Amino acid sequence: MEKIPQHLDDKLLRYIDGELNANEKQALDEELKHNEALGTRLNQLQTMNQSLRNSKFEHPSRNFTQLVMSKLDQYPMHSSSFSIRNGILLLAGVLVAIGIASVLVSSGVFDSATATIDLNQVNLPKKYIERTLPSIPFNGKLIVNIIILLNLGLAWLVLDRAILKPFFQRRMHTGH
Amino acid sequence: MMNDPDLLIIDRILAGEQPAYAALVNKYKSYAFTIAQKILQNRSESEEAAQDAFIKAYHHLVGFNRESKFSTWLYRIVFNTAISYKRKNRQQFQSLETTVIEYNQDADGMLEKTDKKKYLNQALAKLNEADRTALTLFYLEEFSLEEIADITGMQANTAKVRIHRARLRLADELKTILNEEALTL
Repeated sequence: MEKIPQHLDDKLLRYIDGELNANEKQALDEELKHNEALGTRLNQLQTMNQSLRNSKFEHPSRNFTQLVMSKLDQYPMHSSSFSIRNGILLLAGVLVAIGIASVLVSSGVFDSATATIDLNQVNLPKKYIERTLPSIPFNGKLIVNIIILLNLGLAWLVLDRAILKPFFQRRMHTGH
Repeated sequence: MMNDPDLLIIDRILAGEQPAYAALVNKYKSYAFTIAQKILQNRSESEEAAQDAFIKAYHHLVGFNRESKFSTWLYRIVFNTAISYKRKNRQQFQSLETTVIEYNQDADGMLEKTDKKKYLNQALAKLNEADRTALTLFYLEEFSLEEIADITGMQANTAKVRIHRARLRLADELKTILNEEALTL
């Protein structure tokens, strides 16, 4: 079967949709009389078009509406794996950890936790090292302060996502 | 848009009258289910996705900006929900050929009343979900091209070209399936 060029395919669809003007339609009608492959293609497209036009809605089960309505109130619980209570507990845990760490830092527990990591003492093959490696100072107090800051960020996230958001969502859907 | 009767129902729902939502579900469930079915091609999954979409729509109703029709907004949620179901379950899906066979067997006696519909569904199954949905929306003749584009997340021109190409491809698929006997459908 001869392959129909793209522009003729396009024209056939426009023909089916009634989008061709009188001259274009007449020219195509004329061509269809002599071109058997074009006629076959038109038939295929009309078949496809008619089949799709005849396709109808598909219907869900009879209790569809009832099921949707019964699930409406479950949604906020379902959408979040955290209950507000768990969120509050998690936030309390994070805040306690921050408090303990802050007290320890302010009482000077980590002041003496300083060291230097000397990379030259690491047992590496000498052929790969061309010059003396630097030493890296390690400050325990700084590290703990960074951890406290990260925990503050985490606490803020927990407060927003696990407590405030679910709380306002619930209030919006049940309160009104 | 102000005369849209759906907006009155939406106002009642937003005022706290939850049971009023059943009217919207009843009105749009078949269309929503049809969209989900065209994407997922599995009845139980489509039902679940359509329900999920209605529930999501309810909970985001306050964010519906009323610039488009409620139905367009809702079907966009249905489309996105069905697509995410499809992605989530992709690894469980079988090869295309097996899926087509299973789909038709599943539909025996329930969905496929004629060979004509069966062949059409087989051909549709060869298209990707976006093309299938765009074609379905186009042929159900309820939406303009702009609205179809809105639902499927495309530009209007892209939707037009996509529907055009999908129609040609569907005709080719039908031809292949029926091996010229399609002409007798």
